[in-house]
Amino acid sequence: MKKVLAAFAAIAVIAGGCTKQQPQGAPDLGPIQVLVSGSPDEIAAYKTLIEAYKKAKPGTEVQLLEASSSGDLTTKLSTSIAGGAPPDAFLMNYRLYGQFASKNAVEPVDERLKASKVIKASDFYQQAMSAFRWGGKQMCMPQNVSSLQVYYNKALFTKYGVALPKDGWTWNDFLGTAQQMTRDAAGHQIKAGETEGGPAPKAAVHGAGVEPVIIRVAPLVWSNGGKLVDDDQKPTRFTFDDKASLEALRNFIDLRIAYGVTPTDEEVKAADLVSRFTKGQLAMLFESRRVTPTLRNAKDLDWDVVSLPRYGNPAGILHSDAYCITAGSKHKDAAWSFIEYAMSPDGQKIITATGRTVPSHIEVSKSDAYLDPTKAPKNSKVWLDAVPHVRAVPTISTWVEIEAAVEGILENAVNRGDKLDAVVAEIDKQTKPMFARGVTP
Amino acid sequence: MAVNREESAMLRGRFGGPARSVGAFFVLLVFVPPLLLLVSGSFQTPGRPPSQTPELIPRPATAVGYELAFEWGGLLRATLNSLIVAAIAVPLSVLVASAAGFAITLLSRRARIVVIGLSVAALMVPSTALLVPRFALFRWAGLTNTFVPLVSPALIGMSPLYVLAFYLAFRAIPRDLYDACLIEDLTPARIWWRVAMPQVRPVTSAIAALAFVTTWSNFLDPLVFVYDRDLFTLPLALRSLAALDPTDFPIFLAGAVFATLPAVVVYSIAQRRFLQ
Repeated sequence: MKKVLAAFAAIAVIAGGCTKQQPQGAPDLGPIQVLVSGSPDEIAAYKTLIEAYKKAKPGTEVQLLEASSSGDLTTKLSTSIAGGAPPDAFLMNYRLYGQFASKNAVEPVDERLKASKVIKASDFYQQAMSAFRWGGKQMCMPQNVSSLQVYYNKALFTKYGVALPKDGWTWNDFLGTAQQMTRDAAGHQIKAGETEGGPAPKAAVHGAGVEPVIIRVAPLVWSNGGKLVDDDQKPTRFTFDDKASLEALRNFIDLRIAYGVTPTDEEVKAADLVSRFTKGQLAMLFESRRVTPTLRNAKDLDWDVVSLPRYGNPAGILHSDAYCITAGSKHKDAAWSFIEYAMSPDGQKIITATGRTVPSHIEVSKSDAYLDPTKAPKNSKVWLDAVPHVRAVPTISTWVEIEAAVEGILENAVNRGDKLDAVVAEIDKQTKPMFARGVTP
Repeated sequence: MAVNREESAMLRGRFGGPARSVGAFFVLLVFVPPLLLLVSGSFQTPGRPPSQTPELIPRPATAVGYELAFEWGGLLRATLNSLIVAAIAVPLSVLVASAAGFAITLLSRRARIVVIGLSVAALMVPSTALLVPRFALFRWAGLTNTFVPLVSPALIGMSPLYVLAFYLAFRAIPRDLYDACLIEDLTPARIWWRVAMPQVRPVTSAIAALAFVTTWSNFLDPLVFVYDRDLFTLPLALRSLAALDPTDFPIFLAGAVFATLPAVVVYSIAQRRFLQ
């Protein structure tokens, strides 16, 4: 047995000796692997980015590893980290990266960022940067700074003679508009409770579409002056028993249960919210910047975007993905060099051209690369106006599980009309152990 | 043999005639409408909002979805890769599973119980639990980003279930036949190939079809072990099309039709052999 182990060790040493050694002092050119997820158009943009980087830095080698969804990316990343051969860099949402940061699988970038001659921390929106800080260290570099806003179908508003929504509108304004836009096949407004026990008329157009998930509820809770969790730094539970939080949650659920302005679960399963919006069956859609390319591609669709309705204070929720270097990377300097380029104005403009992201680079976000007046939506500025008010959900290693658990409960609440007290109790019961298990920065 | 024929005639009588037609009708009722909608959806025009109700005959019908599926999804290359993997993995699985099944038949009773017990235990281990150890092994051997990890399950007969299915099929053959062959100085390998295998052709066809579908639809292994786009198999290529916008769904459906066709062909061939 000892002989076999010795043979393996010898092979490992020989194999190690065969790998390309970097001469001391020479720049690390890779090769590196960069893992990203996205649709074919996003993947094409990352390929363009890599080609541009190779052109700017001759001699570098970058291999793009593709995943189609964040779930696939997580599977690929966690397997390769556990198997001892992680990619050198990866792109991940701040809500997901805690599970890797908590296991020391991510390499902090502070030192490299300080030493960089290409980018500096102040080039970027701090709201996005701070979402990727773990234990006081900057772990990753945020590529985008999107948030939740309301897309609306202008043609439908004109058709029914309803005033277009305006930035800074309130929740009551929104609810009134959603009610006015909920119509039957004949174009008549459907008023909740009018049928007095009889079956409610089927809506051909719904006033609004919003997924029953915690990241949609959170900004409404904050805007109403409520708290999402008991402690933003070390959360142990959700605080929906708080008066303001409960009110925001109740109003959210009532969109379907009391007012019927959002589509039912069956209707959403038959055609998802984005499809319904493109087909003119939905007047308003709560979404981040990510659906912009889809809407741009939808022929004959006249649409724009407006700020998230507010209660008291303006509030928003951060949607941001960042480039991270894996702690197990053998070419950390080469990985950083690529990230430096991707985060530079040149790199950011390439990804911004997809229309899917709000660039985190302040200068790029204020340029025509993002605010191109020839491209929809006209009101792209709404995402920049929202930046000062956006907040991040707590950074905790078990957040993915917590989100999934709450989603199931909220779905039942919105579709079955579960009692609010029971909903809050169930959220508490299911998520408390997950918070307890979670690791925070 | 005469008994077997009688039995099969009895079975055909019991499950033949109207009962068989009614059964076939209900099976068709469950499986055909989704397939029809899949095909008709693939001929819808990409870039337009999905129709409000499913349209059996799209107006206008267009093959643009197929063109874009090949262009955006790299389906041609992915199909070739899937065919290469299946062409190696399926025959190898059948050979290994049948040889292993036959070997179990020849074991002593005690050894047989142990091996079957281990096979059943192995059957209960979820494949995802083995993902990280397999990744570490293949990485150590320098075989990640090749087809080897995708073909390697064939080296253990793809699944313990296939080995056990062959074992049960070989066990149904009278033991006297094997004993007679041994008296005739035939080696166990020759008995397996020349005597036992021809007796279990329907089982071989069924296992080959199952191994093909398992290999053809394997998503997790290529996701984890393959990096280069040029080595992507069909499930990975299809997955990238699934990430398209809802308005581009005809492109994904076109890819799905293309990926389904080989499985339908293999099942048709296997079914004929199975019935024979």
